[in-house]
Amino acid sequence: MTAAEHRPATGTAVRRKEDARLLTGRGRYVSDLVLPRMRHVAFVRSPIAHARLTEVDASGALEVDGVHAVFTGEHPALAAVALRAQSALPGYVETDQPPLARGKVRFAGEAVAAVVADDRYLAEDGAEAVVVDYDPLEPTVCAWTDPADVTDPVHDEAPDNLLLSRTFRAGDVEAALAAADVVVDRELTTNRHGGNPIECRAGVARYEAADRRLTFWSGTQVPHLVRTQLAELLDLPVGNIRVIAPDVGGGFGVKAVLYPEDVALCLIAIATPGVPLKWVEDRVEHLLAATHARDHRYVLRAGFAADGALLAVRADVWCNTGAYSVYPWTAGIEPLMAGGLLTGPYKLEHYECTVRGVATNTSPSGPYRGVARPSTVFAMEALLDSGARALDMDPIALRRRNLILPADIPYRMPSRLVDDSGAYEACLDRAVEVFDVDRWRAEQARRRDAGEKPVGIGVGIYNELTGLGRAASAGPRMPFRTGHDACTVRVNPDGAVTVFSGVTSQGQGLETTMAQVVADALGVDYDAVDVRIGDTDESLWGFGAFSSRQAVIGGGASHLAGAHVRDKVLELAGALREVDVADLDLRAGQVHVRGQEKPIISLSEVARVAYLQSDRLPEGFEPGLEGTKFYDPIRGAFAAGAQLAAIEFDPATGAVRILDWVCVEDAGTIVHPVIVDGQIAGSIAQGIGGAMYEHLVYDEAGNLSTGTLLDYLMPTSGEIPELRIDHVSVPAANPTGVRGVGEGGTLAPNAVVAGALVDALGVEVDDLPVTPSCVWELLHGGGDR
Amino acid sequence: MKCPPFEYHRATSVDDAVAALVAADDEGKILAGGQSLVPVLALRLARPAALVDVNRVPGLDELAVRDGVLRAGALVRHAALAGQTLHPLAAAAARYIGHAAIRSRGTVAGSLAHADPAAELPAVLRACDGAVHVAGPDGSRRVSADTLFRGALQTDLGDHEVITAVELPRPDAWGFAEFARRHGDFAVVSVAAARFGDRVRVVVGGVAGVPHLVTADAVDPGDVEGVAAAVADDVDPASDLHGSAAYRRALTRELTRRALGDLTGAASPAPVPEPA
Amino acid sequence: MRITLTVNGEAHRLDVEPRHTLADALREGLALTGTHLGCEHGVCGACTVLVDGEPVRACLMFAVQAEGCTVATVEGLAGPDGTLHPLQEAFSVCHGLQCGACTPGMLMTAVHLLAVEPTPDRDRIRAEMAGNICRCTGYVGIVDAVESAAATMAGREDR
Repeated sequence: MTAAEHRPATGTAVRRKEDARLLTGRGRYVSDLVLPRMRHVAFVRSPIAHARLTEVDASGALEVDGVHAVFTGEHPALAAVALRAQSALPGYVETDQPPLARGKVRFAGEAVAAVVADDRYLAEDGAEAVVVDYDPLEPTVCAWTDPADVTDPVHDEAPDNLLLSRTFRAGDVEAALAAADVVVDRELTTNRHGGNPIECRAGVARYEAADRRLTFWSGTQVPHLVRTQLAELLDLPVGNIRVIAPDVGGGFGVKAVLYPEDVALCLIAIATPGVPLKWVEDRVEHLLAATHARDHRYVLRAGFAADGALLAVRADVWCNTGAYSVYPWTAGIEPLMAGGLLTGPYKLEHYECTVRGVATNTSPSGPYRGVARPSTVFAMEALLDSGARALDMDPIALRRRNLILPADIPYRMPSRLVDDSGAYEACLDRAVEVFDVDRWRAEQARRRDAGEKPVGIGVGIYNELTGLGRAASAGPRMPFRTGHDACTVRVNPDGAVTVFSGVTSQGQGLETTMAQVVADALGVDYDAVDVRIGDTDESLWGFGAFSSRQAVIGGGASHLAGAHVRDKVLELAGALREVDVADLDLRAGQVHVRGQEKPIISLSEVARVAYLQSDRLPEGFEPGLEGTKFYDPIRGAFAAGAQLAAIEFDPATGAVRILDWVCVEDAGTIVHPVIVDGQIAGSIAQGIGGAMYEHLVYDEAGNLSTGTLLDYLMPTSGEIPELRIDHVSVPAANPTGVRGVGEGGTLAPNAVVAGALVDALGVEVDDLPVTPSCVWELLHGGGDR
Repeated sequence: MKCPPFEYHRATSVDDAVAALVAADDEGKILAGGQSLVPVLALRLARPAALVDVNRVPGLDELAVRDGVLRAGALVRHAALAGQTLHPLAAAAARYIGHAAIRSRGTVAGSLAHADPAAELPAVLRACDGAVHVAGPDGSRRVSADTLFRGALQTDLGDHEVITAVELPRPDAWGFAEFARRHGDFAVVSVAAARFGDRVRVVVGGVAGVPHLVTADAVDPGDVEGVAAAVADDVDPASDLHGSAAYRRALTRELTRRALGDLTGAASPAPVPEPA
Repeated sequence: MRITLTVNGEAHRLDVEPRHTLADALREGLALTGTHLGCEHGVCGACTVLVDGEPVRACLMFAVQAEGCTVATVEGLAGPDGTLHPLQEAFSVCHGLQCGACTPGMLMTAVHLLAVEPTPDRDRIRAEMAGNICRCTGYVGIVDAVESAAATMAGREDR
């Protein structure tokens, strides 16, 4: 390729760098890792939701062939350590989570003991032989039971199980409601579900006692955060810990947590130096003990003016935080997000929202794709749908009446977050056009006349705060601010480029995206760039994958580092060729005088001088050719999105069939069009899973009733429809112009499916998921339910 | 989720399999397709001392019709049943079982021996008034569908008995309808209907521990609604995660209507309420 | 127990315990870690391999049962020179994979599908791929990829 043919990598669907290994069975997952002398760990897990631990008898397990050791929470190697998620929020109750249960168990599935054996089969044999005596306590399963009924609190520090409560207030809700023409009330619950990546959690820990060095291979989304938190918990210098997240088989937030099992594995490794220990979570463990999400209740009241203007919203929100305040994010993760973003893309002056994080004897809640917003968008859109019905207005027209518009930007939301998007109406317009609302309204009428199965149109509009900088990530007031990432760009002596980025990837194709950004910023071909991620010994810093932040923040750092190294290259090239640097340009790895076709020097020659030929280095130049930059967007980049769907309901069976689904998002500048659409499609699919299929159900005793994939139903290609994805691209104010796309798709499906149901059949659904039996019960009700 | 240890015996004949079961006392299990047994072992919900693998036993893969009865050897896989044209009801039902990688291994006999109340083939066996041939230490016997199923996951088979063949009489007309949460899932409710001469056997799966049988005189197209209502009245389902008793009864009615519609050629769209 | 089996054209002898699944034997015994374990109870499809040409959940078959069998795994799909199988190529172009955990099972299921049904339409692809759960893609890219590979493979046979 000549320089004239050189095209920017950004905006092109280049071949993903990850594909060559992942398509051929040569991926490098922690699950695949084998080290010399490695042993395997299986955890003994509590079958009881809430109980005092009276005795753990490991003697039988130690008799099992191949079992080397059994560790409990009281073992000296573990007894002094607790995970304590910290927050400076007033009224937040800090609680401890032991690596293995100590004194009592707080949820069914909590790890009580760890068995170390030659292989996983033997470790499970050993785990089966551990005998644990439990003295049952009264379990609390539901987060909105009357606190007066709590006899045995989950944590002594919180006798009412309330770990956190906060009220968001703006304007005068009472007065605005009193002045409203129409007031609607809704009481909603959303269904507990979770990430369920195809590769469950996995870790290998190895400790070298001589120099106190710990290496932890972990399928984590947050390797740098894991390293700093482990250093604190294990009392090791940060530099002595190396966390490596190689290929990771999906994350979705569930792996953005430092888990007690991770800490236990590392502590046991320290107690057994030189012996690498491997734990690969199985699916039953994942369903039981990886973090859950979205177990919420919303009691809502909204007031509207006769013209459809939304005047006031009052909300009471309960979020089930489970048995522990998730480390290190705290029990605030869901409630604070719920209160902060409930009002979504709608203008609102009068707002009062009290959110609560309530401890229960269930698996802890943690970050999961969309954090709380799938629930809050459902809540907000349900209010608007109810308002539209009460006012006899078209639901889409009512939404238009209230959207934050470009003229309103920057818009200060009632929670005081500042929205910089304003692309909501553009997304809605485009969605309405692509979906062809008129066609579906006609089909709806035709079916009504023909007596065919009814079809409903559902709509969901959302804002997604992505790439949170230091000012926007203030929410839970944790001891760290997640606003920045770093990237190092190194031109090697042969002129090829190695990028050490602080981002991590669990399928998002970040190696590819970072390579595209650096290729363009530096001025080389995409193929010349190799990206290393996920190893804390290689990259300087990155907070990891959450809050749709990496393309924005990690991408920003990559761009800045690439541009910085480009400047260095040009300066050196100018000095070597005695040309004014201001006249120089770097394209496709060749340095040109602007406007001239023939290069004056190649990047590889510049690199050779920089590393190998110091005799040619001009005065004042240091050897080497690399640069490191941090980036922090300070605020963040709001992404806008709108989804519309036509959904058929069978009144006889309750069957729900999606006939058409359209999503339009503002992803800002699009670096890799196919990856971006893949993120959106995948997140819509998870949203549909949550809206219609996935439900982690506990019985009253706190036992998980949906403990296998025979009962926990994830949608397949047979359920997810063709998804039609389109874009409104308004570049964001950051180095690459991107807005995050990892989560937005999950936000609307709850609202869309519920909205389509009321549109088709006139019945409002209050409790998700929308299953066939739910549809049938709403229509035919009562009976011997 | 690793299986507990067990002794493994690769049976060379039916007699060898029976002998191995006897040798294992009451701790042996037949391993055929493994599609239900292996998950149970992986979850450590069962701990058989010995597995007797019948997959290499010769002569158990017959699939043929004789005297109007489909005879399927114990190693006939769901895929083969789904692909044959000799017994269309069995083929239709088998296509609802799981996915290609399940149907390629799972066996017809294994599904019947497992006796999951939500499975398709037990309902079909009962609708066709079929039977299984069983070999045991005291020789072989024929067990009719009506006596085979004792309860959820419980059959009349003894610890040392193994199914050798399945008999499925071919109905004069048939219908099959199923409602599942997702493609390939176990049915929430399934209905198999088979007409033999002037008698119709309607069997509902998923509403009781065993496939629920209702017999009726030949159903005219005009009788479909009435029979569907009668079948729905006759079942006594329980409530669970996937639906209430009332919902399952409603499904029974609708699926019976559809299955009988297939059988009589009278399928018609369900009456649909007006949107509010 | 000592077993012999042929994997991707190569004969292997292997010592296994009866309880070792085929998936574990491939991964641990033969270092063929491309076959992934997603649920170990036969639902997710990540461990799907072909045994004597038929798709099989390798977590629901014991290695001892594969005695004398011919097994095909994802590692055997590309040509000896590294040329990708048309399905692998299509999965890359159509973005039919993200994290790659479900991908080996998806590919092996699709290999079988196109062997028995060379030109399935999208509905058929959706129905036949429904035994494999993907958590990343929303299936759009996977259906695109199988459809595209089917066209490519049909084109090759016409020539």
